[in-house]
Amino acid sequence: MNFDFSEAEQAFAEEVRRFLRANPLETFPVDGMDAGYGSGANSRAFLKALGAQGWLSMCWPTTYGGREQPMFMKLVLMEELALAGAPFGPLAGCWQTADAIIEYGTERLRREVLPAIARGEATFWQGYSEPDAGSDLLALKTEARRDGDHYLLSGHKIWSSHAGIATCGLVFARTSRESRRSRGFSMFVVPNGTPGMDIRPIRSLTGEVYHHEVFLDDVRVPVDLMLGPEGEGFQALLNGLDADRFWGRFYKAPALARVLRQLVDYANTTGGSAPLSRDPVVRRRLAAIAADIAALRLIFYRTGCLIRDGAPLTYETAMAKVYADETGQKLARLGMDLLGVWGPLRESSRWAKLGGQISHLYLTTLGHTIAGGTAEILRTSIAVRGLGLPAEPRAAAEPKAR
Amino acid sequence: MDFRPSPAQQILISTARAFLRQHCPPELAQRLAADERGFDETLWRRMAELGWPGLLIPPELGGSGGSVLDVILLVEEMGRAGLPGPFVTSAVVATSLLLAAGSAAQQKRLLPSLAAGERVASLAIVEESGSFDLDAVALECAIPGRLRGRKLFVKDAHVADDLLVAVRVGAAASLILVPTDRPGVARLPLDAISGEKLFEVTFDGVEVRPDDRLGSSGSVREVLASALRAGALARTAEMVGGAQRVLELAVEHAKTRVQGGRPIGGYQAIQHSCADLVRDVDASRALLYAAAWKLAEGLPAEADAALAKAYAGEACLAVARRGHQILGAISYCEEHPLHLIHKRIQAASLEFGDGQLHLETVARAIGLVSEASFPPSEAMTFPPGTP
Repeated sequence: MNFDFSEAEQAFAEEVRRFLRANPLETFPVDGMDAGYGSGANSRAFLKALGAQGWLSMCWPTTYGGREQPMFMKLVLMEELALAGAPFGPLAGCWQTADAIIEYGTERLRREVLPAIARGEATFWQGYSEPDAGSDLLALKTEARRDGDHYLLSGHKIWSSHAGIATCGLVFARTSRESRRSRGFSMFVVPNGTPGMDIRPIRSLTGEVYHHEVFLDDVRVPVDLMLGPEGEGFQALLNGLDADRFWGRFYKAPALARVLRQLVDYANTTGGSAPLSRDPVVRRRLAAIAADIAALRLIFYRTGCLIRDGAPLTYETAMAKVYADETGQKLARLGMDLLGVWGPLRESSRWAKLGGQISHLYLTTLGHTIAGGTAEILRTSIAVRGLGLPAEPRAAAEPKAR
Repeated sequence: MDFRPSPAQQILISTARAFLRQHCPPELAQRLAADERGFDETLWRRMAELGWPGLLIPPELGGSGGSVLDVILLVEEMGRAGLPGPFVTSAVVATSLLLAAGSAAQQKRLLPSLAAGERVASLAIVEESGSFDLDAVALECAIPGRLRGRKLFVKDAHVADDLLVAVRVGAAASLILVPTDRPGVARLPLDAISGEKLFEVTFDGVEVRPDDRLGSSGSVREVLASALRAGALARTAEMVGGAQRVLELAVEHAKTRVQGGRPIGGYQAIQHSCADLVRDVDASRALLYAAAWKLAEGLPAEADAALAKAYAGEACLAVARRGHQILGAISYCEEHPLHLIHKRIQAASLEFGDGQLHLETVARAIGLVSEASFPPSEAMTFPPGTP
């Protein structure tokens, strides 16, 4: 066992901290809201700055312009950025898309998209969910019809994060009708602005826009923008979702640790006749959630070690995601309790405490146990894939193809 | 970073698991819990043959020179098997105290026989305050002099040859070594649901000699705090092992118990309960290992140990309670192993500091100020381990 970082990892963490000192976060304009996951707001300028450091492509093979750094360097980078509250919103999605392109992308994707990701110029929205295909993703109806060297995509995608400000969509569509439920799906990289694509914002309960719905009406996508072999997209999607649970939540523990630090400062300096920090209940609740955050961080690093070592994963990412999202909700609730009447005030309001970020966290975290696999779906997955409990029979058998 | 036990530690774990499966089946644990004396000499001797009581003791004093982390992994297996007895008290905490503060003569006299399992030592810390907080120790003693007063919740005092008694000499926290056969020492059993053998020990003018003192004339507070930390982690390991066993029992039951035409593990209500057990066990174990590793490496681990004990106390007890719900009525029977593991976890969550005590340590470590608190003794970053 060893719970320390290697010398190289420590040196890199120090390099990231130096970068953050030299480039104050206020100097980076923000393009899209912070959705509370821990990766901060969406800032194209910040992503480009990371690209200029060579950090976006540092783990790629040299063939694609990378430096073949160990995967743990990505964890070090994300932890430092999250502890600092940096706006690196699209980073994890960029990395996952790059990994998929390196693994099974076409020459064109490798030649055109990878360099753009490396420079911080390409970001992606996920076109997975549909109005009638949420937890039952395979009920999706979006179709891709082959037409010569192109596919024509038609359908209605929804809950696509920051689709309005990203450069490309990753659209999951049916390419053929097959007897096996999980076959006949493919993934496409679809540039924003392609004719026939209509991206509409969905204003959320936070009052801001994060999600979009996307209407696809015979959108022409060249064959070589298909990601992975035709009809085999489902396995790629599953791998992607599994990775998403890890990479899309890894930064939550350090981000929550940052919020906790602010709540501790608040408790130390605020209160009626005495600081809140003297209240034994306040002390215990803050200490208990510090334990949760510490455990959460270790759970993610343990999963990270398994991924690094190529060990098989069954339940680990699902468990880590549920734990991350529920801990975030717990901390947000504790923050609201601590702030009392000041809690619900928005960032823009007079008298807002801690920059109004606690009410924002409270609202955004509500969605986290729904997005990217609901807590219910994931608990079932932990039980079935991890513990070997029998799967529940499907409610209605599908009509068999003849 | 690496969460895996070393090859040598893996051998220790598999040896312990196989040994305890054979020599400490649930029926034996249940019988010892119900029995008034509840100490199996044969089992203890066999454990000694494997070198377990001497794991922390250096080879020159008859032990095998293992680390705190090794001991934690071993105790986790003991918790899984529900092994009763004085191992943690004697081989972890008392041994740590003797190693840290014992004179050369005390070490030479006691450690080889502790390592060989020929001798058992216990701890007398808690008083009527019911607290493991060292500030709560009020029993005064002059050295040399006569000791008068009582200690509570002294574990396995009936089989202990020596007691390490926390006292105050003037203002200084001190430790004295009192053989249980010294005139004036009386051991009165308490009756706890866990079946652990707990005692009130009374000292009625017991003679205390200068060479009974552990450590030099100064305070042994730090030494004592450090040994209690090792004890807290060992009992955390017991809780984690116990919770792991509950998880296994629950999953096995969910797969085989058929109701409504299918195994109950096919119903989401049961599946989701089982999923939460995994999280509680995994998270507790991760905190345990991280703290034990730090302790073994000689790094500051006060807050890490407190985090682990407080967290596991809550989480592992939740596992036990949920385990009853998953297993249903059968787990309510005395002959079923679950209840004893549950009660053990309950007992372990209290010894060497309950959640409240440890959370206060964490509260100070994360920088919460209070009138009564001093600045944190060590700068701690959160999450622990981050720069």
